[in-house]
Amino acid sequence: MASDSSKKTLSRRQFLKVGAAAATTAATLPATVASATTKQSIHYAMVIDTRRCIGCHACSVACKTEFEVPLGESRSWVEYVEKGIFPNVRRSFLPRLCNHCDEPDCVDVCPTGATYKIASNGIVDITKDICIGCGYCIQACPYGARFLNPETGTADKCNFCLHRVSEGLVPSCVNTCQGRARIFGDINDPDSEISRVLATNAVSVLRPEMGTKPNVFYIDADHTDERDAERYNTYVRIDTHRRQKRRV
Amino acid sequence: MQELTWGWPIIIYLFLAGMGAGAYTVSASVLLRGGGGFGRKHFQLARYGALLAPIPIIIGTAFLILELGTFMYATEASMYFRWLNLFTTFEVLSPMSWGAWILGLGIIASVVYAYTFLKKEAAPGDEMSSLRRALAWVGVPLGIAIGVYTGVLLGAMPSRPFWNTSILPFLFLVSSLSTGAAGITILKAVFSSGDVEEKNAAMQTAKSAGERDLSDYLLNVSDLLLLGLEVLGIFLLILFAYMMYGDRVDAIAVIMPGGSLFSLFWWGVIVLGVLVPSVIELKYTVPTLLHGRAFIMPRNLELSLATFILLGGLMLRYVVVVAGQITGPVGI
Amino acid sequence: MINRRAFLKLGAISAATGLVTGSILSQARELPHQGGRGFSPTTGQRRRSVPSTCYQCVTRCPNIIYTENDRVVKVEGQPNSIRTEGVMCAKGQGAVNQVNDPDRVLYPMRRVGKRGEGKWKRVSWDEALDELAGRLKTLRDAGTPEKFMFQYGRMKASTSKLVKSVFLGTYGTGTIGNHTSICEGGKWTAHELTWGGHYDNWDFDNTRYVLNFGSNVFEAHTNHIPTSPRLVRAMAERGVKLVTFDVRLSNTAAKSDEWVPVKPGTDLAVILAMCNVVMREDLYEGPGEAFLKFVKVTRRHDATLEEKIVALKEHFAEYTPEWAEQQSGVPAVTIQRIAREFATTHPACLMTYRGAVAHYNGNEAERAAQTLAAITGNIDNPGGRCKAVGAGWSYPHGPKNKPKSRKLKIIDGPPGLAAVPTHHMSHYVMKMIKDGSWGRPDVYMTYKYTPIYANGEVAENVEILKDESLIPFYVNINPFYDESAALADLILPEPTFLERWDWEDMVSPVQIPEYYIRQPAVKPLGETRDFGDVVCDLAERMGMPLGFKSKEEFVRLSCEMTPDVKAVGGFEYMKKNGVYHVPGSKPLYYSYTKEIPAGKYVADGVIYDEDTGVYWNWKKAHHHSESEARAKGYAHTKKAFKAYVGQRIGDKVYQGFKPDALNKSGYFELYSNILEEKGHKPRPTWMAIPEHEKMGPNDLYMTTYKVGVQIHSRSANCKYLTEIYHDNPAWINPKDADKRGISDGDAIRVKSPIGEVETKARLTEAIRPGVIAISHHCGHWQYGRYASGNKSPSGVDTDPDTKRIWWQEEGRDGKGVHPNWIIANAPDPINGQQRWMDTVVQISKV
Repeated sequence: MASDSSKKTLSRRQFLKVGAAAATTAATLPATVASATTKQSIHYAMVIDTRRCIGCHACSVACKTEFEVPLGESRSWVEYVEKGIFPNVRRSFLPRLCNHCDEPDCVDVCPTGATYKIASNGIVDITKDICIGCGYCIQACPYGARFLNPETGTADKCNFCLHRVSEGLVPSCVNTCQGRARIFGDINDPDSEISRVLATNAVSVLRPEMGTKPNVFYIDADHTDERDAERYNTYVRIDTHRRQKRRV
Repeated sequence: MQELTWGWPIIIYLFLAGMGAGAYTVSASVLLRGGGGFGRKHFQLARYGALLAPIPIIIGTAFLILELGTFMYATEASMYFRWLNLFTTFEVLSPMSWGAWILGLGIIASVVYAYTFLKKEAAPGDEMSSLRRALAWVGVPLGIAIGVYTGVLLGAMPSRPFWNTSILPFLFLVSSLSTGAAGITILKAVFSSGDVEEKNAAMQTAKSAGERDLSDYLLNVSDLLLLGLEVLGIFLLILFAYMMYGDRVDAIAVIMPGGSLFSLFWWGVIVLGVLVPSVIELKYTVPTLLHGRAFIMPRNLELSLATFILLGGLMLRYVVVVAGQITGPVGI
Repeated sequence: MINRRAFLKLGAISAATGLVTGSILSQARELPHQGGRGFSPTTGQRRRSVPSTCYQCVTRCPNIIYTENDRVVKVEGQPNSIRTEGVMCAKGQGAVNQVNDPDRVLYPMRRVGKRGEGKWKRVSWDEALDELAGRLKTLRDAGTPEKFMFQYGRMKASTSKLVKSVFLGTYGTGTIGNHTSICEGGKWTAHELTWGGHYDNWDFDNTRYVLNFGSNVFEAHTNHIPTSPRLVRAMAERGVKLVTFDVRLSNTAAKSDEWVPVKPGTDLAVILAMCNVVMREDLYEGPGEAFLKFVKVTRRHDATLEEKIVALKEHFAEYTPEWAEQQSGVPAVTIQRIAREFATTHPACLMTYRGAVAHYNGNEAERAAQTLAAITGNIDNPGGRCKAVGAGWSYPHGPKNKPKSRKLKIIDGPPGLAAVPTHHMSHYVMKMIKDGSWGRPDVYMTYKYTPIYANGEVAENVEILKDESLIPFYVNINPFYDESAALADLILPEPTFLERWDWEDMVSPVQIPEYYIRQPAVKPLGETRDFGDVVCDLAERMGMPLGFKSKEEFVRLSCEMTPDVKAVGGFEYMKKNGVYHVPGSKPLYYSYTKEIPAGKYVADGVIYDEDTGVYWNWKKAHHHSESEARAKGYAHTKKAFKAYVGQRIGDKVYQGFKPDALNKSGYFELYSNILEEKGHKPRPTWMAIPEHEKMGPNDLYMTTYKVGVQIHSRSANCKYLTEIYHDNPAWINPKDADKRGISDGDAIRVKSPIGEVETKARLTEAIRPGVIAISHHCGHWQYGRYASGNKSPSGVDTDPDTKRIWWQEEGRDGKGVHPNWIIANAPDPINGQQRWMDTVVQISKV
């Protein structure tokens, strides 16, 4: 597990693990980590084919209604990236949600264990009754995927519609996607649609340098940032379509 | 990221907890370092520190709890106590979990430590002495741990490039010690006000340096050293931001010219909180240090100085906490 | 780390949420898209599901409504629908907010203060309906039922039949206004002039190339979800090329392979030039040439193929690509290239919408589009532009002896202003009432229609509707307190579409009709009553019972009367399944080639019309004798199209392109004798837009548009939609902004000949220089808190989100601006369509 981590994460984790092992005498920890990863029977992930995304927000609203997400917060949203100089202008769409990372910083920093990665399927979820609402995970997520839910006072975010998935349904956003741009499934199953798509397309993840190893993959994502405007001497405008007008 | 998940309560918490921990460490160091003469002479200094320490730690921690979502948005009584979940587990990878336990221990230790000083007639060698010394031995590392932890808490996340630097815990530790010392100075200045004339006279007439009460001088010299280290820390923070890749430069830009926190940082933290106190302290300590002259600082100046240091410490927390949240990873 | 997680998984969460069980480990690996089931994320309980139908927009997609404890919590697509394949757009899912809006009208309200003052008295239904029935009965008894004017916005299918045909027909008023001319009526008229009926289905499933003039199908379309996902699929899976002409980079333009930023109002020039290329380069050969058999290109209907080709070549000769470049700013080579691509890729689909047709020359743009599709053989063929297919319901028609209806001539605009306004001129109704020359209604009733907000010239609309001397009694039927309801004398609360019955029939993208119904998922909130039930009640009170007591009964009877539906179990089947199509049905293409058997046209009353080649039944056309019919002729007999039997072409009689609103022949008419007689050019011809001809150097074109998460005027109360889209700064190209010293986000003043509005500037490269675009959804001043910040008179405080309307907070985005304040109500001279896109403005920094 550690061998393919990015250096930055590796060092911090290694440091903490060594420290922890010494301090808590949990000498078996590294071994447990390695075996648990390989044993994971289902590894849920999502591919978003932005070529098929038309920026319609059906996913955003599906999510809002599925969970009655309070105004001002979003578990799932769609960013617009507009760039170029007339008439050579492109607008592309970047649907965003929790990446259900293999190395989730939010899980690491949680002081109560409320945020955790479900060992049997890889979904990162939150146990509301344990969460104290400290906001640490919100700070730690490099994707702005988390928020403090004012109804519960606890951290909240996408959980791949665990309540649907466990009933054999796809997540609500996937179910309603107009362009069928979202593919959800088990990447441990080589015959699943998502495995086939991952194997046969050039994909990217968001902010790989964060070392989080996201499980939301994109096809043809436009990684342009507002700061690129100057670099390329062009026009760039990002619309987040959420309360946070700047991309997080 | 332009929206603050952590606002004033956290800023105040980081400041107060650091200050209390600093006061505990300073007090314990003074007590332990003294052995015979030194400790006896500066017992009063240690006492001020000991009595001060638990108050900001406890108040600061209360602020922390106030900003918990489960407290702010509590819909039932049990939610007000949800924070106790911090103590039902120990999360190895979570600095906050470490912090909760360290802070918990810190509160207990500092309260008991303060208790040993509580009696007016408390003095070296009294019946509390061994407990006091034991808690002082605990206090030095514990106070430092709290100071360091406040920096580690913020620094633990790659998602927050402004915070995600190894110098931050050091910076917060130094600031925690200097604000702790400043707190002691204020307490001392306020409660020993009646003795000022007498003390100054004694200072003037003392035949040798050894007979002088060096408490004030000691505090000021230490403080000067800490402020110097703070300057070093900030210098390295900025220097290395430019030596690292994109998002650090982008993050540090908020405190550099043109950045939204530029004025507050440079005028507030650096000039008011560090440079002005340093210059004044230099002016008063250098004669003593180099020429063995009596150290006499006007009380009002002493109070202002300490206040500047405290304000500087608070503004440092403010700038850091805010800067970390209004900046983030570059690109997507 | 995993150790800890594993521990937590076993311990804490299974205990805490009860959701994570062993089933996750053992479940099926390949998850289906299939919806149809829903579960509560908090309790894990299965949600009750009700198959019903959306009515956020006119597309009317079958949906599934989920409820928990008699509260609507979720809306999803209906997976068994052949139209939508289970997809539901953002708007459709936002329907949850319609039913749960805390600002709904909950009980009948009678005005007590001055009109528009906002003072209301809650009244009982009995009181309200007694008063209304009294007024209506008085009018009818006085022999002036036409003084009861009814005007509707959202009303289709069963509600339309019940209210319009049955109730209003039985009552006797023909003063029935719609809203079609502010929508797409112009496009429909152009269809009626060319291929008879209105509406075109774009067969994306089978097409190989798509050429789009002014449609934003990915964001808003009258058949949105049935078409948009299919176009995405065609592009992604079959590499179908999409070329979009639009003045603005809509999301459709953005996803197109090619965006051609055409000058506003010049789509017609480009299409004419494309016809020129096709004819000049003989690209019509093949399917186009074969189709010409069914096309009328000359005044005479019996021209030979050669004559038709010559006529077309001659007609389009002047519209060279070079000429079109002068008009449109689109390079001639681009026009030529795209014309060749379109003509040589078969089948290809030609899309058009309001970007092309809501102009002075919109009728001609649509006729030209029909021409281009026709001469390339892309009419009613798989992969082309097809004649719409929808479900044909039978329904009870109510009392047999209906009076001959009387009407005030105020719904078509002043005589002569538009040549053939087959879908009326709703945007002129207020002006006609003000004018008074053609009479005024005593009772004006609107049903889910907002004359104030939906039309141009808002200020004038307000002035007229407020004036009791012009409109003595105004009844507003509405689930929400909108800008027009605020000016009513009586508001009757309508349930939302999630609480009512209907059968539905919208166009099928696969050319196979789909039957579907709408049924209530929850009981109507408060005292709201389905207007279908209300008219049954009103009719009883006026002593003219309709033969059924409620909309539900009407729908039930319709299900039992409609053979296809009855065969599978009628009403009960539909309630259980929501949708039905006859299994194994073949898609309907080439319907015009159907031959009419001799028995049909050699029959009693059927005569042959020499001028048009049409067989028609003079008896059905209400002639007294055959000779009278022959003397008058098919073309000049009022509503003779209703007596159409078939079209003779060569030695055969075909169903042809059956007329639906005008006395056209059964040909696909590229030469319209009807227009010729009205003094217009018979063939699609270039028409310059007068306002655009005299623009000064500082003038800009103003255009309006729709976005994917709002529906015209009726969705700003949906909090989840408005949270995403609530502000509409004017799009302006930085080149235009620089000239005027305007920066991004600056407050600007937009001034048209009829007024000015203040808004913000959004500097974007995604719009053609010389054009500004302001969307049509925002700037509400009523419609509840989410839309406008104003609580309705019957608003409640049960929704905690009303405290979290962050975009209305100080220093945030605000609620935007409504562009209709500065858009004049002006018709297309041929079809009467409101010219949304022709406004000329000046802008300046505030």
